[in-house]
Amino acid sequence: MTEKVHVPTSSFAEELAAIPGGEVVNKCIQCGICTASCAVARYTDEYRPRQLIQKILLGEREEVLKSRLPWLCMTCRLCEERCQEGVSPAEVFHAVRILAAREGYVPPEFRRVMDSLLNNGWLLADSYTDFEEEEREDMGLDPDLGWNDKFLKRIKDLLPIAEGEK
Amino acid sequence: MREILLYRGCTTPVRLPAYELATMNVLKELGVKAIPMKDVTCCGAQFVESLSPDAFAVIGGRILALAEDEEMDILTLCGACSGSLKITKHNLDNDPGLRRKVNDTLAEEGLKYTGKTRVLHLLQILAQEIGYDEIERHIVRPYNGLKIAAHYGCHVTRPFEIVQVDDPENPTIIDRLAEIAGAEAVDYPGKTRCCGGPMLAMDTTVATKIGQEKIFNVGLVGANVILTACEFCDLQLTQCQFDEAIKPSKRIPVMPITQFLGAAMGIDEERLGFEMNRISPDSVLEALQEGR
Repeated sequence: MTEKVHVPTSSFAEELAAIPGGEVVNKCIQCGICTASCAVARYTDEYRPRQLIQKILLGEREEVLKSRLPWLCMTCRLCEERCQEGVSPAEVFHAVRILAAREGYVPPEFRRVMDSLLNNGWLLADSYTDFEEEEREDMGLDPDLGWNDKFLKRIKDLLPIAEGEK
Repeated sequence: MREILLYRGCTTPVRLPAYELATMNVLKELGVKAIPMKDVTCCGAQFVESLSPDAFAVIGGRILALAEDEEMDILTLCGACSGSLKITKHNLDNDPGLRRKVNDTLAEEGLKYTGKTRVLHLLQILAQEIGYDEIERHIVRPYNGLKIAAHYGCHVTRPFEIVQVDDPENPTIIDRLAEIAGAEAVDYPGKTRCCGGPMLAMDTTVATKIGQEKIFNVGLVGANVILTACEFCDLQLTQCQFDEAIKPSKRIPVMPITQFLGAAMGIDEERLGFEMNRISPDSVLEALQEGR
């Protein structure tokens, strides 16, 4: 590739660049089109994708990894479609989440969902009551959804959530 | 009749079974039999995806390998399932190391990922596999004087390089389908913006505000109904209207594109699950004309 890449400004940015998807962080020119496009930024005071990327470029490793902000990205990718430099904040924050998870920083909301997912193999097992089963039957749909509840347990070791909350 | 495997995802069968029912019946009418997949797990979107690339790849890889075993393509109804299975396929097709790792795990069940199976979102089946002309031939009760606002779902159309559905900044499939069914498709501010659904996991207040902005924008241009192509968007855009910020009389019906098309195709309302819609679809169904 002949394109010029901005020089990484922090070891944290380089650490993220080693995770697939994270490498684009070093292309950011801090123009702010991501924040301008972001639906979450419009309705929260603290979530600003440009600012979060700036913190990464400045090497604020602990602050970013412990923060809830990277978990607020909806991955709607509107900013990614619009970024002229080929940066995807969704991918960058995805890389941040993976690194944060490895170090034990997973928001409790995600942890709770993961517990249920590992047990049941799917997300809504607890919500699927007799009422919903009957509703399906009445509509002529098969009430037996046939989810596999063993496979996720088998690959549990691939998920860095076994040690409990830090 | 052509057959395709239906990956229903976690949410549709429990929270919006009408979408599953309407889609199966509409596709059947159009010559495609959708067979629900069993023995599968969640696709891993958002949650597993955020925690471990390896776990995400093996979960999606297993679903794809099960379909390969049946020698069939996969149909998805949900934007998140569609996106995550397509991203997983993309990763497995382009990263031999990852594919080897995944296949080592899948081998324990006698499964193997080779990349043969295609993942097609509902909009692709309708627009590309069946085609607008064929659908038009099935419209027997077109709508009259009805304005629709299309909501596409972020994960259905983005990232375009991977999902290959429509145009990410100016999508038109739902609009065209609605026009074929006799309705007028209207544009509205923020058409390609998110419904707010993925935010429900972290902050329901913010999620509701994001959804309500869409409802407000759709109301501004006078649309009579919002058409969706993802159950998560459908549920979110419905739910956000049951909030004191929106008067009950101002609620705008929301429905999946297959329910909407099915009615114009003359399929019985009960085979489309309309009695389950939280916001009454009556004002929409009253716009159907008898006979063409």
